[in-house]
Amino acid sequence: MYGKLILQNAKRSLKDYLIYIVTMTICAALFYAFLSISSSFYAPDIGVEYNITFLGEGMKLAICGITLLIFFLIQYVNHYMLLHRKKEFAIQAVIGMEKHMIGWLFFAETLAMGAVAIILGIILGAVLSQFIAAMLLTSYGQPYHFSWMLFPDTIVLTICFFAFVLLIVGIGNLRAIRNIKIIDMLYADRKNEPAIQKSKYMYIIVIVYWILLIAMTATGVSKVSYYYDSRLPVPVRVMYLGNIAAPAVSLMTGIVCALLWIRRGKFQWYLAAAAVLAAINAIFAASVHMLHQLYYLVGDDGTMRLYLLYMLFDVTFMVCCIIYLASNLLAGWKEQHPACKYKNTNLFFFGQMISRLSTASKTMTLICLTLVLSCFLFVAMPALTGWAEGYLAIRARYDIQVATRYNSVYDEADLPKDQYEILTDFLSENGIETSFDCAINLYLTRYDDFHNRKKYDFPVVAIALSDYNALRETQGYEPVCLEENEFTTQWREIATDDDRSAFLDEHAVITTDAGDYRLSENPCYTESIGEMIYNSYTDVIYVFPDTACEKFLPVMRDRFITMKESIPYDCAKELENRFLQIYPEEPDENTGVQYYLRMRTLQTNESKASTFILQTSMTYGAIVLVVMCLTVLSLQQLSESSQYRYRFGVLHKLGVEQHEQERLAFKQLAVWFGLPILVAVLMSILIIACFFQTIAVQIAAYVGWIVLLHQVAVMAGILGSLLLCYFIITYMLFKPVIYN
Amino acid sequence: MNEILRLEHIQKYYGNQGNLTKAVNDISFAVNAGEFVGIMGASGSGKTTLLNCISTIDTVSAGHIYLNETDVTELREKALTRFRRENLGFIFQDFNLLDTLTISENIALALTINHVPAGQIPKRVEEMAETLNISDILEKFPYQVSGGQKQRCACARAIVNNPKLLLADEPTGALDSHSSQMLLCTMQRINEQLGATILMVTHDAFSASYTNRILFLRDGLIFTEIRKGGDSRKVFFEKILDVLTMSGGGVTDVR
Repeated sequence: MYGKLILQNAKRSLKDYLIYIVTMTICAALFYAFLSISSSFYAPDIGVEYNITFLGEGMKLAICGITLLIFFLIQYVNHYMLLHRKKEFAIQAVIGMEKHMIGWLFFAETLAMGAVAIILGIILGAVLSQFIAAMLLTSYGQPYHFSWMLFPDTIVLTICFFAFVLLIVGIGNLRAIRNIKIIDMLYADRKNEPAIQKSKYMYIIVIVYWILLIAMTATGVSKVSYYYDSRLPVPVRVMYLGNIAAPAVSLMTGIVCALLWIRRGKFQWYLAAAAVLAAINAIFAASVHMLHQLYYLVGDDGTMRLYLLYMLFDVTFMVCCIIYLASNLLAGWKEQHPACKYKNTNLFFFGQMISRLSTASKTMTLICLTLVLSCFLFVAMPALTGWAEGYLAIRARYDIQVATRYNSVYDEADLPKDQYEILTDFLSENGIETSFDCAINLYLTRYDDFHNRKKYDFPVVAIALSDYNALRETQGYEPVCLEENEFTTQWREIATDDDRSAFLDEHAVITTDAGDYRLSENPCYTESIGEMIYNSYTDVIYVFPDTACEKFLPVMRDRFITMKESIPYDCAKELENRFLQIYPEEPDENTGVQYYLRMRTLQTNESKASTFILQTSMTYGAIVLVVMCLTVLSLQQLSESSQYRYRFGVLHKLGVEQHEQERLAFKQLAVWFGLPILVAVLMSILIIACFFQTIAVQIAAYVGWIVLLHQVAVMAGILGSLLLCYFIITYMLFKPVIYN
Repeated sequence: MNEILRLEHIQKYYGNQGNLTKAVNDISFAVNAGEFVGIMGASGSGKTTLLNCISTIDTVSAGHIYLNETDVTELREKALTRFRRENLGFIFQDFNLLDTLTISENIALALTINHVPAGQIPKRVEEMAETLNISDILEKFPYQVSGGQKQRCACARAIVNNPKLLLADEPTGALDSHSSQMLLCTMQRINEQLGATILMVTHDAFSASYTNRILFLRDGLIFTEIRKGGDSRKVFFEKILDVLTMSGGGVTDVR
């Protein structure tokens, strides 16, 4: 009997369950699709030089972590369903059904619907997983072929995860139904509109922000005491002092306002002032990193991160204030413009929006902040993955590179002179043929520099012209010519034009152990010849004629090998193990030399796997967050359809035409969706601009601004399409509300 | 006297041929300008259906309704909406106020919908609030005032546009006796002082005693009609009770 009731209920309320099923299906599909490549049954043909085991484990962790967010979304949708069905439950209770039985019936219904959604989700996920597989194969440089496959372990994991979530949420629903009074359920849809009053959460946020302002002021004072100097440029001094003054003024304003205004109910005036001051705070915090880069100021990474964090706090506080004050702003604007207020149905529209913004500002703020995070993930992803890929292309230029560091060597007799024969033996043992093999020395131009180990004054090393040309040749560049008394320079990609010209201006002529040398006509070369060749903390090497190098002190001994074919992954791993046993990366106990072995196979594997995990988890996270926000925004409108039905009904009785009601509904939805999105976009632009500014050098070197902007535009397009889909669906579902 | 509303052989059926319910069965009557007419009857007698047809919210199955010589049964949906907006005022049992707007804004909404110039609105709202004695609650929200005040606000909203006909469906249904009395006095005053034409549906004899003429409905037909004439309200009330006793059934109905 009850089974029949469950099925009939589920069938009858299929339309009500539509949002539930759609949300669950999307969640299950995304979960399955992103997790499918971590399946042990997934074995794409990506070549012997790649191994995706590491990738699978990483993906599993990242996806499961992010998916916990989905838990909240499912709970929210369930809560909506519960609200929607309250009256029905009341009737069942009135006719004598026990509450726990009603709860179980609802649980069984949601479980049945959940099962349908999971099955649909897995099917949809199998289609979506093709895109993920295509992404993976593209990133490994392999062609993609469509292959329809279902992975049993991923299916089991998906079912287990969602069954667990449904169980937890279901138990919550059971408890909720047991605790509601029948009378409350019966009149749930006839409940009066709660008094339009704002939640008290903003007071807590203000207090937390005050505590942060104290921390910001203290940080500012400590930085000034460490680094402030009256000889510093004016902008830098303003930055240092501003980072004390701005938070201190914000704090003082808060305290004064608390004493003068808050008690008189003028909390909103304080918030308006606080939002403006938070914007000034954010500008000062953001200027720290910018000015450090511009003026090469002394400062540690911790300080930079701390100020970025402060900027985020300021921006978050601003968002909270703006959303909280939105209803006041709208109400104020309405009173200032009576002509607009009394035009057609504007009064109704203002009433709807002010009421909604006042009672749901907390949800709106959370949505807004989540959207900011999602936008950031969407936009930061191409920058970070582009950086990783660009950097990989630059550093993995040889199949095998051996580099050394003498940072812990204090006796010149201990400097490395090895030929690394172990490599030659291993390659011949495994029948791997080389196409280029070169062992080179890197020299100090002055013997006195050997003991110079100051981080910011580390000596630039030199390479012999013949070695340099050999490396250039193997990378496909033209050889370089030098006169006997000339030298030239080779630069890292990361170095900027300003860096180069400043260095070259200072080093037009240098004095070496082999005499004075001047810069050649072609003073610098920027084509990449590998990252390992530069000395610690430097972005440049000198190139000297071979005769000069004979008189220099060789401090580093490197070897570069390229193969006719790629080294298989397993071979590379074995070679790495053997090499590290003899040549450790940690300073050698006897000599202090540090050895580094870099193999293209391993570098590519690790980098591609990490980049892919980063790319997919950021994309997945961004999509999940944006889906969550848009679903909540949508449900907030739909869940109160009875109220809206009543209000539009009143308009209908007062003689407002149908098309005017439709226009009003459209406007209402447009503002409801538009406001958090607009605020989020503005805040995201601010944060992303700061983020891009902090990694501007890397973007210019490894990604390129045009490429990045193109990718950002694509991401914005995806976000815009998602928003449009949700808006249209919500409008279609909302429209029947006005047809009484 | 000017005839403002005329109903000619109104019929309203629900259901289909096999299961036909006659809610209103051939009703004809007329209302003159400035009249306060009550429609009484037991549950299911068809009084609300009749009011819905007059108010153009529902359509008739047969017959004609003329309001100021306009046959509303011939109007299309768009014209009906406009007609309703410009000619009719409504007072409902459950107030039908918008809880997102203040009392003054609820009244102003009726004016804005009729495209009254913005400059005139605050003055007209204040005047109307003064007439209905709700000036001190204008800036409050509906959930902050009593039921009686809400209904007076609904009343103000209904008459602020000077409608040709004011329709009230059980206006005292959700009010306590004191609030009911105050509202009925107000309605009587706007009828007498402002010359508003009112058609009120009620099943309460006390409320009906404030009107000038009452139509009694039974099974979709006008059973009888009484007029107040020169009688006092008390005498009229007793007459109503007599009719109700008579219509409620004689000894033959108590079996």
